[in-house]
Amino acid sequence: MTNIDDKDMCAMEAAHINSKNRQVLLTCRVNGQVVVEEIDPTMLLLHFLRDRLKLFGAKEACGEGECGACTVILNGEAVTSCLILAIEAQGSEITTVEGLSKNGELSILQQQFVFEDALQCGFCTPGMLMSARALLDRNPDPTDEEIMEGMAGNLCRCTGYQQIFNAVKCAARLEREELNRS
Amino acid sequence: MLSQFDYVKPLVLDEALDVLSRDTDTYILAGGTDLLIMLRHELINARHILDIKAIPELKVFSYVEGKGLEIGANVVVNKLIESEVVRDNYKALHDAASCLASYQLRNRATLVGNICNASPGADLPPALLIYNATVKIASKDGVRTVPLKEFFTGVKKTQLTKHELVVSVFLPEPGQDDDSCYLRQTRLKGHDLSTVGVACRIDKNGKACIGINAVAITPLRLTALEDELNAKGITEESILWAADEIKNHIRPISDVRSSKEYRLHMAGVLFKRCMMQLMDKEA
Ligand code: FES
Ligand code: FES
Repeated sequence: MTNIDDKDMCAMEAAHINSKNRQVLLTCRVNGQVVVEEIDPTMLLLHFLRDRLKLFGAKEACGEGECGACTVILNGEAVTSCLILAIEAQGSEITTVEGLSKNGELSILQQQFVFEDALQCGFCTPGMLMSARALLDRNPDPTDEEIMEGMAGNLCRCTGYQQIFNAVKCAARLEREELNRS
Repeated sequence: MLSQFDYVKPLVLDEALDVLSRDTDTYILAGGTDLLIMLRHELINARHILDIKAIPELKVFSYVEGKGLEIGANVVVNKLIESEVVRDNYKALHDAASCLASYQLRNRATLVGNICNASPGADLPPALLIYNATVKIASKDGVRTVPLKEFFTGVKKTQLTKHELVVSVFLPEPGQDDDSCYLRQTRLKGHDLSTVGVACRIDKNGKACIGINAVAITPLRLTALEDELNAKGITEESILWAADEIKNHIRPISDVRSSKEYRLHMAGVLFKRCMMQLMDKEA
């Protein structure tokens, strides 16, 4: 990982890419760190995160946008990284589940998943957390329906969803309380 | 992935059209939610991928009162759902956008992609058809505009040539006292494609428009049925008549989602529900 400053990042987003030599230079910011890597343009964002950056949080399950296990936050929006080419993330900001904890401490949202038993095997959990994170970022006080709609793109074979729903709802309340205190 | 493609992301429309005019094995990438699946399943062999997301003209999302709404090729479905203009003026489009796939996918999937993919069961076309949507198509040779009704030519087929690109879709201003809705039937609540989907509109002159998907090789506008219904005048009685008559205007098939018989039946049921919903609101 190299460091370049913000101005360069923006310049790169606008940059015209034409890769006739089958390798392209991808510059983006992942969990706050600037990353510059040479990649094949056919590489998926999911594979870039897992294979190249060794961030194993995002999972590959269906590989076609149906299950949400590969959900990450791209420029503030929850997206399925299995349906995005890595090079499409040029100049963008990506957050994966690895970016949620701060200084080794789980975030409120993550803690609520633990307290509410919102996971069993844990395979869906990183994706669930990223959908929930994006939801609470755009809407800190979601209604029950909004929580269900925001999480509907993530499948879980274990929990039956109720615990996940509870965790998101509790996290929303705790995050709002935390915000009011500060 | 079978395809070994290179990747081009132009900043201006002209360059994109240049790229398209050069090769025939170039695939256009906007949201990628259909394209990436086709690449993954090796249904296509792409040599060049043309990412159009940096082209400013394709980001247009503008409503001019008295004229209508232009939706550029880069406008994602979530943007339609959040738009007050869409909710207030093109209600069926709001409904249809809201039932498309999941939140994550709607952050990437575009309206223009939904029509270019030309799935007979796509959710957005019925809602666009009832508003007389037109499609703006550009190529090196210039720009042409075609009615959406003529855009679809078959299952996954449109009249777009390999050298052309859809710039935007335009929806004329519906005016006051216009209302519409979209209802669909799916096998399961959630992210299935529709078994049948019906969009109905009653315009300011009290005339009904009907759009429908998954009952023919393309999404359809049922103009012949509309004419008969409008000639009768829209009453509860004529709606029941049309709900029964609709089966003579569609040609569904049986597939994994439903039998042909069920589609014929549901088309009538959904049509009736849509129209009753619109009538109730009026009353
Ligand atoms: S692996 Fe991406 S949505 Fe299932
Ligand atoms: S905890 Fe096992 S899939 Fe959700």
